[in-house]
Amino acid sequence: MDENTSEIPKTTAEIAEGDEEVRSLFLYNRTSPIGGIYFLFLVNRMQMHYFILIMPVYLVHSYMVWGIIVMGLLSQLNLMMMSKWFNSSYAAKGYQGFLQLFGKRAVQVFAILGFLIILFKISIITLGYVEMLHSFIYPSMNKKWLILMILLISLFVASHGMEKTLRFVIIAFLCGAWIVIMFIPFFFPPIANYRDLYPLIPTEWSGQSWQGLLFIWSAFSGPVYLVFMVPWLSSNKKISKYLVIGNMLTIIEFSLLFIASVLFYGSNFLSKINFPIGYMGSYIQTSGLERIDHILISFHMFNYVFDISILLLSLYGAGRVFMRKMNKGATRIGFLSSWFIILMSIILMDQWLWETIPGQKMLLNIQIWLGAFIYLLVPAILFTAVKRKESM
Amino acid sequence: MLPYKHYGLLASVCLMWMAGCSSPYVENNLIEEIAPVVFWSIGEGTEGKLKISTLVPPLIQEKKRLLSKEVDLLKQGGREFNLIYYQELKQGQLRMLLINEELAKKGGIEKMINTILVDPDISTRVYLLIVRGDFDEYIKNQLTKQENQDYFLYRMLKHYEKHNQGEMSIVDIHQFMKMLYSPLKDPILPVFHSDKNNFDYLGTALFQNDKEVMVIQDLDDNIFQLLDNDHFLKVLAIPKLSISLGRVRSNVRMKLSEDYSTLSLHVGLQGRMEEYQGELDIQSEKQLEQLIHEVKVYLEEQTSDLIKKMQRWKVDPLEVGTHSLKPFSKEITEEQWLKYWENMKINVDYEIKVHPLINGSVQVR
Repeated sequence: MDENTSEIPKTTAEIAEGDEEVRSLFLYNRTSPIGGIYFLFLVNRMQMHYFILIMPVYLVHSYMVWGIIVMGLLSQLNLMMMSKWFNSSYAAKGYQGFLQLFGKRAVQVFAILGFLIILFKISIITLGYVEMLHSFIYPSMNKKWLILMILLISLFVASHGMEKTLRFVIIAFLCGAWIVIMFIPFFFPPIANYRDLYPLIPTEWSGQSWQGLLFIWSAFSGPVYLVFMVPWLSSNKKISKYLVIGNMLTIIEFSLLFIASVLFYGSNFLSKINFPIGYMGSYIQTSGLERIDHILISFHMFNYVFDISILLLSLYGAGRVFMRKMNKGATRIGFLSSWFIILMSIILMDQWLWETIPGQKMLLNIQIWLGAFIYLLVPAILFTAVKRKESM
Repeated sequence: MLPYKHYGLLASVCLMWMAGCSSPYVENNLIEEIAPVVFWSIGEGTEGKLKISTLVPPLIQEKKRLLSKEVDLLKQGGREFNLIYYQELKQGQLRMLLINEELAKKGGIEKMINTILVDPDISTRVYLLIVRGDFDEYIKNQLTKQENQDYFLYRMLKHYEKHNQGEMSIVDIHQFMKMLYSPLKDPILPVFHSDKNNFDYLGTALFQNDKEVMVIQDLDDNIFQLLDNDHFLKVLAIPKLSISLGRVRSNVRMKLSEDYSTLSLHVGLQGRMEEYQGELDIQSEKQLEQLIHEVKVYLEEQTSDLIKKMQRWKVDPLEVGTHSLKPFSKEITEEQWLKYWENMKINVDYEIKVHPLINGSVQVR
């Protein structure tokens, strides 16, 4: 495992050998490994996006805060399983490591599945954020412009390569993490009445509550994509510590925002608001600035840009795997066409499904189930695969 | 293959394709072309229509005037104002929604508020007021005397909202909606009285099922401020006992019995005696004690009368119902609660601590 760092230049050279074009496109180059602290930011930021904005509507009852904590702790276990993979020698080898574990055919099937899942996830989070931008800041603007703009920005970030995009997480974190602090005033009267939080334990349990738990689990599922970025991250022994802290931060952020929104709306009103956190933002007012929500939503964009660009790179990676172009190096055409596929997919989804309420519900439900499934399956599969290989 | 050619090509193709769909910015927000709206006043018009009016504020030196329209829908009114005025009226600065009392008694405020809530231009911090009388008449009359009457009105509400300093019940749209939707709470709104020359605070209107059912005034309103709204009053004047208490802070404890048959209300009042016009000699410790006792008994009576009135009207603005919520048991429904609330016995107990009127200690005789 200690040779990982020395292997990195070699793999870069391997990729470079494949194609002359590589010199013009360095998307997947590795120069220096990124330290363990990045795991903390990555885990945290990949869990904070569209889902948190609508989370309170799905949870509604105050006792679901226990759901956040329980699911967060389960996610902790999951991350521990993943750190087993991060520490294994297969992780640092990237694509070759997957080949060694599963064989060529299986990897290809995984890549196709992954391609679709990532495509779906990018589409949903972009649509979600764009919807929010649209309803709060640019209500009269054609949504397609907003979709195009955010995708262009993400394309710009992603075109700097995987390594720089991963480093962009620092900016995303610095621009996004403080937003929670703005919601602390909601914990204090006169709007807050602590009796709104009662009952603290569920007195009845319904299908909706199960769905709420599924939703939370799915919201925690972001870091699963780290598995594919691991060659760029240094894999030292202490990774699990950073993973745990990152996940803890997310639990705190989730529960703070959720409790604040229960206090602000009360359970009954809360279930009728589409963007609870957004509307809370618009209630914040200072004597100097009035529409703080516009500022908060804009800052939130850093998080989305980071998420979309990292997923864009993963999508292109997956595309290269199933098109068997892995040893040919990244091309500009390939990269742009995967960006274009995303754009088309988002615009078509927006046109056909997102605009109608049942369509939007369906897309969200698919995303919730998909997110939950891959967060359950991927770490488990990798964990057992690594275990099996090691014992062989 | 040149690096940046493709980005540019792709971007321009996309842009052209989208430009065919629509222009991105359709709203004109040039400062010369818009006029901010500070309030909307909504009343009953003829034949079930709504009468909505607003002041047109000038950006340049121009005389203000009141626009008034009779419409079926709220937003229709906003649109019709635009069509008769040379600037576009924008609701981004909307601060107050004044609703005529007749309309409030009929119900259906929720629908109007929802219209305001979903408008992305308007923030949720819009004050809601109930107006008894003709507000338009007042504003029209004031225009000749006081130019920025709408803005001053907003400043007044803002002043009393800040730090919850008692005196008035100030409610914004969000607070009203939260109360309206919560099963164990009932919303309140301030009521103002308006005629040609005056616009003054009257009391607090209590709502049940989105309808105004009663208005509490004067001492009742003062007690209400102490019990629930602000827990502070600058002046609590009790004319019957010729005494004024000042800077009164209240500490309220409510306790429901297990079977919801009695409510024990303990109110601790702390304040200063600021005025006394009565017969008793408050220099003497004994007579002072007697006076305080009289105040206590009087307040206890008034408070239980007030609560009985609320019970009769089946409203619970004091949020007594939320005291039935417990960490580990199921919450009761609104219907169940109102049944309990109607028949509940009320025990009110005041504990009053006041500094005497005289500077220094009371002499013992």
